[in-house]
Amino acid sequence: MGGMAEAPLVEFKDLCVSYGPVQALSGVSGAFLPGPTGLLGPNGAGKTTLLKTLLGFLEPERGSLSAFGLDPVRQPLEVRRRIGYMPEVDCHLPGMTAAAFVAFAGELSGMPRDEAVSRAHEVLYYVGLGEARYRTVDTYSTGMKQRVKLAQALVHDPDLLLLDEPTNGLDPAGREEMLALVRDVSDRRQMSLILCSHLLRDVEQVCENVIVFNLGRVAASGRIADLTGPRRSVYDVRVKGDPAAFLTDLKDHGCEWREGRTAREAGVQVRFLRPGAETLEDVFLRALGHEAEG
Amino acid sequence: MPIYEQTYRRHEARGPLRRVRFWPITREALRLILARRWFLALLAAAGLPFVVQVIRIYVVTRFPQANQFLPVDGRLFGELLAWQALFTMFITIFGGAGLVANDLRTGAILVYLSRPLTRRDYVIGKLGVLLALNLAVTLLPGLMLYLVALSLAPDLFWKWSLAWIAPAVVAQSLAISIVMSLVALAVSSLSRSARVAGLGFFGLLIGLEVARGILYALYRRPETALLSLQADLRSLGVALFGLTERAVTLPWAYAAAMLVTVSIACLLILRSRVRAVEIVQ
Repeated sequence: MGGMAEAPLVEFKDLCVSYGPVQALSGVSGAFLPGPTGLLGPNGAGKTTLLKTLLGFLEPERGSLSAFGLDPVRQPLEVRRRIGYMPEVDCHLPGMTAAAFVAFAGELSGMPRDEAVSRAHEVLYYVGLGEARYRTVDTYSTGMKQRVKLAQALVHDPDLLLLDEPTNGLDPAGREEMLALVRDVSDRRQMSLILCSHLLRDVEQVCENVIVFNLGRVAASGRIADLTGPRRSVYDVRVKGDPAAFLTDLKDHGCEWREGRTAREAGVQVRFLRPGAETLEDVFLRALGHEAEG
Repeated sequence: MPIYEQTYRRHEARGPLRRVRFWPITREALRLILARRWFLALLAAAGLPFVVQVIRIYVVTRFPQANQFLPVDGRLFGELLAWQALFTMFITIFGGAGLVANDLRTGAILVYLSRPLTRRDYVIGKLGVLLALNLAVTLLPGLMLYLVALSLAPDLFWKWSLAWIAPAVVAQSLAISIVMSLVALAVSSLSRSARVAGLGFFGLLIGLEVARGILYALYRRPETALLSLQADLRSLGVALFGLTERAVTLPWAYAAAMLVTVSIACLLILRSRVRAVEIVQ
């Protein structure tokens, strides 16, 4: 999964989308490879707009977007039947039980009724709502509603899952459970997904690739491992004793380590030494034009 | 399925896109509406005018002299549909006010439109709900009454000269059902609250009818009927069934043109409101 040679599922080039006078995406280009990809960015960065354009809800003013080699504007139905969408906002049908709701979602995706009903039960068990599936969704807690949203997105077994802020409103335990489910869908079930979030840890836990959006532009993109890998010229060093003289010595030596003599000569003990690694937070903040703190 | 297999498994059977995609929407909404007992009671109450007209036909067949003060002819069906139009208003309010408004409020609109469905499929699906309910209280009793009339009083109704009754019943029922359904859906799409949409629909129909009544009382001009949907529908009834109504003497073509204009306006409202993305200019 996520191999560089694999053809992208979604490609967009010079894409411009606006809501009336407000430009939401300004000439963005990129691609979503098979596997889990994170779509990061602060609120209003254009992440959800990209998902909605992908679903054919919005028509680009300029540029091109293709999903599975199809144009979402000209072939929206073909694109949507291969996509499962978990919206950021609450969505349910009042008065409907979870089982009926998810089966209905399956039918809307083109599944025959019997198949949709049987599949709805399976998926509800999978997301952990097996026991509560005959309760109306109106009576569910926030965490349960998020799970139902995931179930309705999974019911027709899409090729690509779009998750818009799936951990919104969840407590830490609920968040971990939701992320575990998403990871399981991606890792064990081999389903490609786009996880749209402003929470770095969510993306870091689930995704292999990331695209960072800021102010309607792509600020950074690539494999998370490549973006956050160790910086070869930087090491984290923890010492015991007075570090001032040690640092002076290091500076004098052009920050090079020479067989431990500097530490010994400064009279300190080196307790910890590893190559300094850049975190996703560093990448994110740099992409947004800020420097990481600390 | 054994418990150890109760996990996510791929589902490979993906068939071609459905041709009739609106049907699940209509079916599920009807199921939810018809699950309410009071709504079933309302539907049953809508059958009362039919029963009254059947009794009227029966009385005339048993006592032919009753035909003097209870005339049994084509107008009978027009009167039935005039009563049924009143019931369609209540059925439309209680069954249709929340059809789009609730989806906008709960975000369910995204569940529909993120599927292989067009906005047209969605509107047709929702319209199908109201059409089914409204035709059930107009077309169904109208045609049933015609069959009852043919069987109870064949000497009165089994005539070539009265063969227009069935097509007239179909035309008037379709006009009432389509207009009421489209207006209710359009009003429903303008609000996120079923209650507000229901009150809006009721206020629109009653308000315009009151305004028409006031203007007619002041100016005695038939054109005032153009203001009110009910008056326009009654004008059609006058033309189709030979009813006599003092307040409505508007040529049917004007009323029909008004009803078509209102229907097109409703479709335009639905086109702009039924969207997965709300664009605020």
